[in-house]
Amino acid sequence: MKAEAQVLKGHLDMLLLATLENGPRHGYAVREALRAASRSRFDLPTGTIYPALRRLETAGLVKGRWSAEGGRRRRTYELTAAGRRRLAGDRAAWRDFTSVVSAILEPASCPATP
Amino acid sequence: MPGNALISSYLRGLRRRLPAGLADEVSDGLIEAYQQHLASGQSADAAARAAVTETGDLGQVVGEFTRQAPGRSTARALLAIGPVVGGCWIATRWWAWPTPAAARLGFTAALLLMISALAIAATSRHSYRRTRLTAAAGPGLVILDATVITAALVAPALSWPLVIAVAASLTRMALTLTALPRITTA
Repeated sequence: MKAEAQVLKGHLDMLLLATLENGPRHGYAVREALRAASRSRFDLPTGTIYPALRRLETAGLVKGRWSAEGGRRRRTYELTAAGRRRLAGDRAAWRDFTSVVSAILEPASCPATP
Repeated sequence: MPGNALISSYLRGLRRRLPAGLADEVSDGLIEAYQQHLASGQSADAAARAAVTETGDLGQVVGEFTRQAPGRSTARALLAIGPVVGGCWIATRWWAWPTPAAARLGFTAALLLMISALAIAATSRHSYRRTRLTAAAGPGLVILDATVITAALVAPALSWPLVIAVAASLTRMALTLTALPRITTA
């Protein structure tokens, strides 16, 4: 089942930063990394990913550079220092959030009051 | 360029509707996807359909880029601060200055033209080209600000409203000139 695109978009920046954590990637490779890491649940069109990467670049979180590949121009992105700090912050906040939600969702965590 | 008609048509659409840098980037992803599907054993037509599906609808791709275009956000910012700058100048009672009526009329017409261009750029959702109107309206606004500041030199007397209005125009000029390189290179 595909994840809801709108829900995913809310976390897209964090996920894109995570795909670049281990080294530079171009847009299609970012898409494939997202798809592989999510076991095909996050199957976003690359047309959504490119504008998001440009937005992250404008925000100074990633840095893009052009290269040549097979006779065509290719833009590759890598994390900046600010991007690494943002990812670390987002990751910590996400883990904190999910641990709280998970605790609430446990069947015995909200006993009925008389 | 791959020989498949669907891929070629998509690439032409990208070139027509997006600046070269953005079109090149999306084109690279489309061709990469197409080649990977071909390498996996699909027919040319099936590989092209899969690659286009993975890239997304052309209108949607252009729309995503358009909504975050620097020309659009700059136009919105200029339209938002416009009433503030205009209000500062109204407080100077500039219409009482000894300037020819034709000059005033020309200034007002030019200002309305710039505002119209900025409004088109600010509200564009599917046309990247329209967001680039800011690249023309921005310098036009700078010239208008410079003109009104120059005209202020012949104002009857220096006053606080005049000083504030000049400062507001200088601030807008600085903001516009700072944003312009991003618009012209995006």
